[in-house]
Amino acid sequence: MQNAKDTFYISLRSRLATVNPERTMTLRGVVRPGILVEEAEAPAAQLPLDAFVLRWTKFATDEQLPSILAHMTCEIHYATAGTQNNAGLDRGRALEEMDDELLQMLCPSSTVKMNYTQTPAAQMGTNIFWSQAVFAPENTTRERVGRVATVEVFAFQEQGEQ
Amino acid sequence: MSADFSTQNLDGHAFRLADSLLRANGGTTAYLQMPATPGDASDAGQLGLDAPNFQPLPLSPVAFRRTRATMTEGEPARYELIVSGSAVSAAVGAMQVASADLLFQMAAGVAIANELFLIEAVSLSECQGAVYVYRLLLRESASGWQMQTTQD
Repeated sequence: MQNAKDTFYISLRSRLATVNPERTMTLRGVVRPGILVEEAEAPAAQLPLDAFVLRWTKFATDEQLPSILAHMTCEIHYATAGTQNNAGLDRGRALEEMDDELLQMLCPSSTVKMNYTQTPAAQMGTNIFWSQAVFAPENTTRERVGRVATVEVFAFQEQGEQ
Repeated sequence: MSADFSTQNLDGHAFRLADSLLRANGGTTAYLQMPATPGDASDAGQLGLDAPNFQPLPLSPVAFRRTRATMTEGEPARYELIVSGSAVSAAVGAMQVASADLLFQMAAGVAIANELFLIEAVSLSECQGAVYVYRLLLRESASGWQMQTTQD
């Protein structure tokens, strides 16, 4: 189901670049939209501020259907400390802005599954689709405010797909 | 309100003292694992498909020690790395980054004696506004990879 996970990330990244082109970060020497897959980056003691971090957790399958339906849980972590201009007093507003961006990134809630192990990426025969985000309560640690949104991602396993 | 307007000549004594103490106390070389430049901007690079090709950036002198004698089951051991401020300053210049904080944030870990460690926290000590020593709290990497350094 790696193709579904890859497609979900690339889809959200492309949408973020449209929703808010100014939300960028520099990671491993590259300026890119402010979203990353935690398991595809170097481990860090603390998640970055002002960026969306995708963390894959649960995985289940439904084998009663003609094709196996994979069901994965993606936690989207994000946090901010506000802006320097406002001495961080706008951190609540900044978090609300990220909430809104995430809602826009998740809509529409489906896209064509792609295989990114090939260059160029190849379109596959089915779509991936996902549930509405469930937003956890705001979490405050000193000047840092953050939230976790949980999304259930579904994808059919295609012939020959691992 | 008051301010200290006394003359304080920066003569670098704290840097020299820190470096000589680090060398005298088992000074060695640590290698920050820095991203390759230019970075990999491809989709594959962001999905864990391409090898990141981290480059070792040497820092010397450093002193490396375990922070506690007791071990907790299931928890990787913690270590402390004391790094020369002048070495970090040179590395910041070489990597052309804005600050030492950014340098440590960019690093994917530290290799010492061919073992990989993860950076948990950074603190510093300064004299007359110049940082002469950095203290890095490290955690043993669970991977157990043997790291290659430029000295091998």
